Amino acid sequence: MSLAVDLSHVSMVYETETGSVHALDDISFSVETGEFLAILGPSGCGKSTLLALISGLEFPTEGSIRVADRPVSRPVTDVGIVFQTDVLLDWRRVLGNVLLQIELRGGDVAAFKTRARELLRMVGLFDFEHKYPYELSGGMRQRVAICRALIHDPPLLLMDEPFGALDALTREKMVLELHRIWYQTRKSVAFVTHDIQEAVFLADRVLVMTPRPGQIAEIAKIDIPHPRQPAARSSPEFLAIAAHLRDLFVNAGVL
Amino acid sequence: MSVEHDVKPMMPARAAAPRRPYRIPRSANTQIVLIVILVLWELGVRLGHVPVYVLPPPSTVILRIFHDWRLIIFQTWVTTTEVVIGFGLSIVVSIPLAAVLFQWRWLEESLYPMLVASQTIPKVAIAPLMVVWFGFGLAPKVLIAFLICFFPIVVDSLIGFRSVPKEVMWLARSTGASKWNTFWKIQIPAALPSIFAGIKVASTLAVVGAVVGEFVGSDTGLGYQLIVANGTIDVQLSFAVIVVLSALGIVLFGLVELAERLLLPWHISQRRVRNNNKSRKYRK
Repeated sequence: MSLAVDLSHVSMVYETETGSVHALDDISFSVETGEFLAILGPSGCGKSTLLALISGLEFPTEGSIRVADRPVSRPVTDVGIVFQTDVLLDWRRVLGNVLLQIELRGGDVAAFKTRARELLRMVGLFDFEHKYPYELSGGMRQRVAICRALIHDPPLLLMDEPFGALDALTREKMVLELHRIWYQTRKSVAFVTHDIQEAVFLADRVLVMTPRPGQIAEIAKIDIPHPRQPAARSSPEFLAIAAHLRDLFVNAGVL
Repeated sequence: MSVEHDVKPMMPARAAAPRRPYRIPRSANTQIVLIVILVLWELGVRLGHVPVYVLPPPSTVILRIFHDWRLIIFQTWVTTTEVVIGFGLSIVVSIPLAAVLFQWRWLEESLYPMLVASQTIPKVAIAPLMVVWFGFGLAPKVLIAFLICFFPIVVDSLIGFRSVPKEVMWLARSTGASKWNTFWKIQIPAALPSIFAGIKVASTLAVVGAVVGEFVGSDTGLGYQLIVANGTIDVQLSFAVIVVLSALGIVLFGLVELAERLLLPWHISQRRVRNNNKSRKYRK
């Protein structure tokens, strides 16, 4: 299987005014094509730095990164990114926000309108295309952001705690929805989270990170078959793996 | 799946609104306060027998405006021209300048301190110099109005351009968008609320600038008329001119607000009307 993302012996040291910060230490892992990889770790362990490195916005102090079998030397464009905040543009209506992706890429906006509407329908926002972001709830806004990340049909999705700012119920709903979208589209996903349940439910594999300097504690394979139903959360396998991941954090002194 | 779940407010259907006694609409408060002040002023001056050359009753000031309407209209026209040209010029110059400073960091670092320093020079102090350099015509007034308006617009525009969250810039870079495209599609619209804040401040200053220009060297304009009226202790006319001057400032400010409302319907400052029902609940 080809690799969507491949990191080998990546270390990252930031120089700040108060000295150097060792954010990542000797990280090696890969995301296979079509795989959903969750990156799980406590806050400040360099999870977000990992995504910045993969997307070519920052470059590692040591080690090499390949995306779609090409070394990363400038911002990667074959990618859809979803952030913790939806970062929708306030002055654009829902449809315009989704199409921003195409506009910035210099694509034919008119040709993508149909696809934008399809995506909005898929996430249940078909009737909202003419609303402004401030007229939507947090969950709806984040769905628009997901549509914006999908419209150019990127092979790779990078998600940085996308549901971190949502309330618990909305969050669970969004997790189900993301799982469904991923199951339908089979994109390669690197999904950063600090939520064990979320990671286990969504991922093929969960990469567990230690507190700073971020190192890989374990890469756990989740063998629950797809598509996963909400009830999977209370299955014995699910509970066992979640307990195991929690233990890792207990041992690392995080919990 | 359906969306409604996370939008539908979880509360019982609203019962018929309880009948409330008639209340004066909140929007009328300003007018009421203004009328009360004017009435008190009128009564105080008349009952206290204050001489007209000290403080004229407001009714006579209004009458004076109508009585001398030809003079007032002419002088207003002169001053308005200066204000509009100076103010317009400051908008046309300041926003592109801020954009240029924003694009080239080194330029900003070298020019910005000088801009700040230049702003600390009181415009009133250099107004006489303007007369020396540019004479008694339109030019010095326009320039002073321009100088006084210029700074808030530059500063607020710069703040606006910088207000884009880093995630949005990250997103833009992941699309491979050019610097220009990012600036045009993201940074400029993001800066508009801030730019408008600067323009609003400037709109109130523009009138001050023009009047200062007229004070130091002019034979027309409301500022000149004010000097003349003061010189002859015609306090009634002074007040009449002051009323017209502030009306001019209010109209200019109102026009800027109108433009803002039309251009930025999405901005938080413009959502008042649409959110009225919601916010009322929380207001007491």
